Amino acid sequence: MTQIGLSLFFIVLTFVTYKFMARIYARYRAVFLLPILTTTIAIIVLLLTFDISYDTYMLGGKWIDALLGPAVVALAIPLYKQRDLLKNNLIPIIGGIFVGSVTAMSSGILFTQLFGFSKQIVLTFLPKSITTPIAMQITSEIGGIPSLAAVFVIIAGLTGAMFADILYKPFHIDTAIGRGIGLGAASHAIGTSKAIEYGEQDASMSSIAMTLSALFGSFLGPIAAMIFY
Amino acid sequence: MLYVKKLLQALLLFGFFLVGAWLKELLDLPLSGSIIGLLLLLVALTLNIIPLKWVESGAYMFLGVLPLFFIPALIGVVNYGEFFAGKGLLLIPITVISTLMTMAAGGWVSQWLTKQARQKRGTR
Repeated sequence: MTQIGLSLFFIVLTFVTYKFMARIYARYRAVFLLPILTTTIAIIVLLLTFDISYDTYMLGGKWIDALLGPAVVALAIPLYKQRDLLKNNLIPIIGGIFVGSVTAMSSGILFTQLFGFSKQIVLTFLPKSITTPIAMQITSEIGGIPSLAAVFVIIAGLTGAMFADILYKPFHIDTAIGRGIGLGAASHAIGTSKAIEYGEQDASMSSIAMTLSALFGSFLGPIAAMIFY
Repeated sequence: MLYVKKLLQALLLFGFFLVGAWLKELLDLPLSGSIIGLLLLLVALTLNIIPLKWVESGAYMFLGVLPLFFIPALIGVVNYGEFFAGKGLLLIPITVISTLMTMAAGGWVSQWLTKQARQKRGTR
């Protein structure tokens, strides 16, 4: 009985906090008020304050987590509606995503090696721009730690969602293709949730970038690991 | 009635996700179940097997609050406090910089290639 109560409590808590934070963001539009960030921090603070474990939170959290699958499937709709944009710009789209994938992996390996991290950490870090389940799979294949890889994936996702506005300005990245491909290739589905904010064309570009970089990563990841080790 | 419709559409999307997850296991594909589900739905829409209006309002119900579904996984970061207490902390700025480089490179190249293609079409 208490389990059901706790589950319901954490579901409602997460939903209400998110809705509240989204309202604040809609009003002030500041980078650090991004609801995905503020909701996460608010709930983490609450869990730490009342000494509640992540497992306890997940009694409710797992139900929201279970909806992530169909939510990603729903990205097929903007992609379908914008299919002409995809067809007419096939080479720029694939080219941009490929360059993004290579940049993500090579800069990750380079920086982590530069600072003297162990081989295991370097290989855990490698697939951070790829959506969680695939990143975990790639990491375990090349000899990293899957659960830790998921943490880097999340940080990469948040980075894109938070800094897209600031980064795109000086680089004059101001088209739906540019913005969407950048977000999807660097920050997977979390970046795509930010791309929705820019518009449907951006969302469709980000979805295709998220999908293709998962594919590229599955093939390039093991190759990159082989080249560097 | 509107809610029943949205709920049924959400169930259909869930069905695509389940089929995607099943196919992934069966064929050991290098994509997640949700992305395979996305591609399957895209094919179904393109081939007119499923009309857009069967899934559209349900899909926008999900997409309207997409960030919400990442939050439980994000909160899982609390379990890694110790790792980021030492040298691991350095990995956070490294992630940020590498991600920004990726975003700038991917975005800039795709935009540049689009402009090149347009100019080519224009001069012909």
